[in-house]
Amino acid sequence: MFGSHKVKIEGELLDKAKQCADACGYESVDEFVLHMLEKEIKKVLPPDEGSAPSKDIVKKRLQGLGYIE
Amino acid sequence: MLCCQRGPAWHGEQKLIILGIDGMDPQLLKRFMQEGKMPNFARLAEQGSFRLLASSIPPQSPVAWSNLMTGMDAGGHGIFDFIHRDPKTLQPYFSASRVEGPKRALHLGSWVIPLGGGSAEQLRRGRAFWEILDEHGVPNTIFRIPANFPPVPAKGQTLSGMGTPDLRGTYGTFSFYTDDPTTAAGSVEGGQVIPVQVENSKVTANLIGPDNTFRKGSPPATELFSVAVDPLESVAKFAVQGQEFLLREGEWSDWVRVEFQLIPVFGNVKGMCRFYLKQAHPRFQLYVSPMNIDPADPALPISTPAKYSRMLSEEAGEFHTQGIAEDTKARSDGMLDDQEYLEQAQAVLAEHRRIFDAEFPKFQRGVFFFYFSSLDLNSHMLWRLTDAKHPGYDAALAAEYGSALSGFYQQIDQVLGEVLPKLDEHTTLLVLSDHGFAPYYRSFNLNTWLLQNGYIKLKSDANSNQNEPWANMDWSGTRAYGLGLNGLYLNLQGREGHGIVHSGTDAKALMKEIKEKLLGVRDPQSGLSVITRVDIASEVYSGPYSQSGPDLIVGYNRGYRAGWKTILGAFPPDTLENNNNPWSGDHCMDRDLVPGVLLSNRKISVGAPALTDISPTILAEFGIEKPKDMMGRSVFQPDSTRF
Repeated sequence: MFGSHKVKIEGELLDKAKQCADACGYESVDEFVLHMLEKEIKKVLPPDEGSAPSKDIVKKRLQGLGYIE
Repeated sequence: MLCCQRGPAWHGEQKLIILGIDGMDPQLLKRFMQEGKMPNFARLAEQGSFRLLASSIPPQSPVAWSNLMTGMDAGGHGIFDFIHRDPKTLQPYFSASRVEGPKRALHLGSWVIPLGGGSAEQLRRGRAFWEILDEHGVPNTIFRIPANFPPVPAKGQTLSGMGTPDLRGTYGTFSFYTDDPTTAAGSVEGGQVIPVQVENSKVTANLIGPDNTFRKGSPPATELFSVAVDPLESVAKFAVQGQEFLLREGEWSDWVRVEFQLIPVFGNVKGMCRFYLKQAHPRFQLYVSPMNIDPADPALPISTPAKYSRMLSEEAGEFHTQGIAEDTKARSDGMLDDQEYLEQAQAVLAEHRRIFDAEFPKFQRGVFFFYFSSLDLNSHMLWRLTDAKHPGYDAALAAEYGSALSGFYQQIDQVLGEVLPKLDEHTTLLVLSDHGFAPYYRSFNLNTWLLQNGYIKLKSDANSNQNEPWANMDWSGTRAYGLGLNGLYLNLQGREGHGIVHSGTDAKALMKEIKEKLLGVRDPQSGLSVITRVDIASEVYSGPYSQSGPDLIVGYNRGYRAGWKTILGAFPPDTLENNNNPWSGDHCMDRDLVPGVLLSNRKISVGAPALTDISPTILAEFGIEKPKDMMGRSVFQPDSTRF
């Protein structure tokens, strides 16, 4: 389930990715691409499927406000 | 640096003092004045003005204080409720601020090296009145006003208040250590029960710090502490990172500083907490407060200038930095009893009074705003001890602690007593609250009602988990849902992730239908209306964020509030149920039923002052024209005299 997967990027897209990674201070194109993917997944998938905190964590954070159980 | 430069020089002599008293209720204030308990308020009301102050829709503190500080309603500042949701995911979050960990990281073995720090983001929009004062060079101090975390960049001195998290990024998580096997270990509301063993009269355990984003999986950072329990006496000796102190049973420690090491040598973060030895024998019971951000070395921005929080702690001693400092959850969970809760709440007010006593004498000119939380939190927790009709009323406890709430009111009167002698012909005083208070007898489970009335659909094979938010929801058949304390949303196509209701005519008709039905709900126990007001957002809000909040705002009758579990989307079986929680007073109701107060040493000339009038009033005091997006007007005639 947690295996790896390689994606080949080449040509103009690779050049542009390199430019973006350099401009934004990423250590590598890999790091830049991973970050972009994480960002987009967060936008599309519901929290449990993406990287957002779980319902329990959200609830625990909010309980200190006093108004919820 | 530009941010440190003063604005245009302002040479006026005008002074404005504002005491912001969260939750001060006009009915209680009148009663305590009549009983002679609040002589300074009585004098101010008699010689100056005392009016009701219309609260926000809904009358919740983050909304109300945002109305006050921006002069706009929720459509202008974007804060509609304590709890907002992401429309795509329905994930709830605190409306006024967001704290996030670092986005990028480097993975090295078991270590994860964050690239760049985490961040705190304020979600309130619109300019606060002190930002405009800054532009005109008017000096100001703004102490703990809610919905200002992280504090907006300012030239004056500001300290953040409600909305400031603890060091764990929550709004308060206490720890309770015990060897009592009858106390279940694990998470409780607003806290954590940690089992310990007493071996050879010694307890060793971990203090829980922030999640360590340097470690894979971000486990919480911890620091060991130990307790040597005297085998004969009810006393224990504590050792925390080289600091040692003794506590007797029933005694609180001072603030104890704790440094959590996140990564060897380079990364550490400082917090502070208080210990309360609830019981030494026969069972060990220790309460440790939420780990507060250390004001002397804050891990997140909590003041402007950044050094202001350190200066305050040097001048007035350590203080809670957590936005809601009174530990109501420890009382509701039964980890603290009424006496212990009151001691903790008294300590919070004592800190605020110490800071007030240190800061107020320095005030020379401009604006001095000081916020007190005590009446709000203690009205929430102590109402059941003053009202024999409350389901949680206990005659014996009422006899012992029934006067505690008036005692907090009297302390606020003493603060006013320090201010009144300082008033002169150049000084205007405003004493105000964001809302009043009412009993919270019964819970209305809005989502259960929506389910029973066919607006929410569950999956056909659903075995509904009553406590799980949005468990088994069939969004393809759900037309509306409740979230937050007063919010009701349509499941709108194009906005919600799985929306089905068409905007326009369909949405309007649905809102009208739900509104009429809600206004018809009666409590079979009392025959009373449960809901006395339902506002359609587009009719009551103006401004660029009008469409960002709930579609309907539910205003409950006095005595009623949204149920505890419906707020985040769960479905308790009954639509109405008694509220037996120690949190027994509330204000998240019909705003006309819980107005705040406005008192001044000047004559208030407007007919029905509202929170949105306060920013225009403040600006007018300094001859500053209000911006066009501010809704209100000054509550004073320009030439009105002061007493």
